[in-house]
Amino acid sequence: MTFRLAAIAALIAFLFGLTVATFSELRVFLPALLRGATVTIEISIMSALLFWAMSFIAGIGRLNPIAPIRWASTVYIEVFRGTSLLVILFWFFFVLPSFGVVLTPTQAAVLGLGLNFGAYGAEVVRGAVTAVPSGQKEASAALNIPDWKCMLRIVIPQAIPVAIPGLSNLTIEMIKATALVSAVTLVDITFASVQQNQIHYRTLDIFLVALIIYYCFSQLIRFGGAILEARTTRHLARGQ
Amino acid sequence: MTRPKIRFERVTKRYGALTVLDGLDFEVAEGEVVTVIGPSGSGKTTVLRVLMTLEGIQDGVIWVSGEPLNMMHSKGGLVPASKAHIRKIRSRIGMVFQNFNLFPHMTALENCIEAPIQSLGLSKAEAVERAMELLTMVGLTDKRDQYPSQLSGGQQQRVAIARALAMRPETILFDEPTSALDPEMVGEVLSVIRELAAEHSYTILMVTHQMGFAREISDRVCFFDGGKIVEQGPPDDIFGNPQNPRLQQFLSKVLEAR
Repeated sequence: MTFRLAAIAALIAFLFGLTVATFSELRVFLPALLRGATVTIEISIMSALLFWAMSFIAGIGRLNPIAPIRWASTVYIEVFRGTSLLVILFWFFFVLPSFGVVLTPTQAAVLGLGLNFGAYGAEVVRGAVTAVPSGQKEASAALNIPDWKCMLRIVIPQAIPVAIPGLSNLTIEMIKATALVSAVTLVDITFASVQQNQIHYRTLDIFLVALIIYYCFSQLIRFGGAILEARTTRHLARGQ
Repeated sequence: MTRPKIRFERVTKRYGALTVLDGLDFEVAEGEVVTVIGPSGSGKTTVLRVLMTLEGIQDGVIWVSGEPLNMMHSKGGLVPASKAHIRKIRSRIGMVFQNFNLFPHMTALENCIEAPIQSLGLSKAEAVERAMELLTMVGLTDKRDQYPSQLSGGQQQRVAIARALAMRPETILFDEPTSALDPEMVGEVLSVIRELAAEHSYTILMVTHQMGFAREISDRVCFFDGGKIVEQGPPDDIFGNPQNPRLQQFLSKVLEAR
């Protein structure tokens, strides 16, 4: 018994020592990586807000009875879905100024990411709205509830839990796509890692830290999505 | 007899090449309880659906209390109705569906107050008072805070009836209200409808396969076939002494199956 405990303690001590030896320079480059992580978080939050808003606006707009609204939504979705995010970022930052529109790097990054992922999200939302049984709209009509109130209070609340898995998937994709914002001169976690690696040549440590940070963000979104899904489908649980 | 509450005037409804209602003329008097029976595909449910404006019609006029529903008066003639006109006229009609169509994300009480608040502009307190009266009538006050998924089919349909009545309609349409129910729950829903029919304060138009119930509560039974009324009359005549061969055939099949 004591022998086994001693063996485990020795193993832990060995691994700990190995870790310290391997990552001893962590404190040298970690501050720079954390600054990069802060930029990634900032861009992610702002882009996600725009992305979610655009998903609902364009996704529901595509089902609007008024044709011009439908067309506008379709054009938006197809343009941003059909073009490269990197090229769009270049456009917002380097091309728009020649038309007199000058955006800061953050504005360009948030617009590019938010609008690009909003186009994908719109299709998720459209699918979710379409999945709400037609009987729900018929009941609203029979109760003389105005169409827009029916959409807002009857259809969308039922579409949200259907859309959550798809939207949280896209949100994780979007966080990883923020790695592209270095194209518009922002120093995010990925670019910070590249810079630190060029200085310190600690390839394994640096990119391992970057990997872990991205993984933690993704898990956060996954859990957030799961909690939200559980909350919005509570009423579907039988018994209680 | 006063002017008809509901009048179909040469109403034609087509789905592509398929004619579901074929120049239908049909009247329901105020306070009358009318049951529509017929084989599937005969257009009987379509009568309710076009009356509730869930579906448009290709030809003819539907009148509600003497006012056109799908058309409106303009410059001495009738023109296709605006959305606002349709909303105004159809507020006099309520509907109970085969599959209940309760809002699953709202409790029984919330289902009943949603439309009075959102459509009629009632305050929440007024709407709750009205809803509780109706939930009492259908015997479900203790289920007010339950979600539809926590209720049995019979309870859900009774909530749906209360929800429809909360809008104070003059006419109620029942579209096979017991067809989606387990047999042991049919009775509780029928007894609520029976109570409403006995009051005669509502005009009731019901599509059903419950022949015994139709015979018991109806003032008049209409047999639909091929988008037209083939035979209609008092329930005892329709069930006891059917004239039309298609009705005879239909009844023998339905009664055989029981």
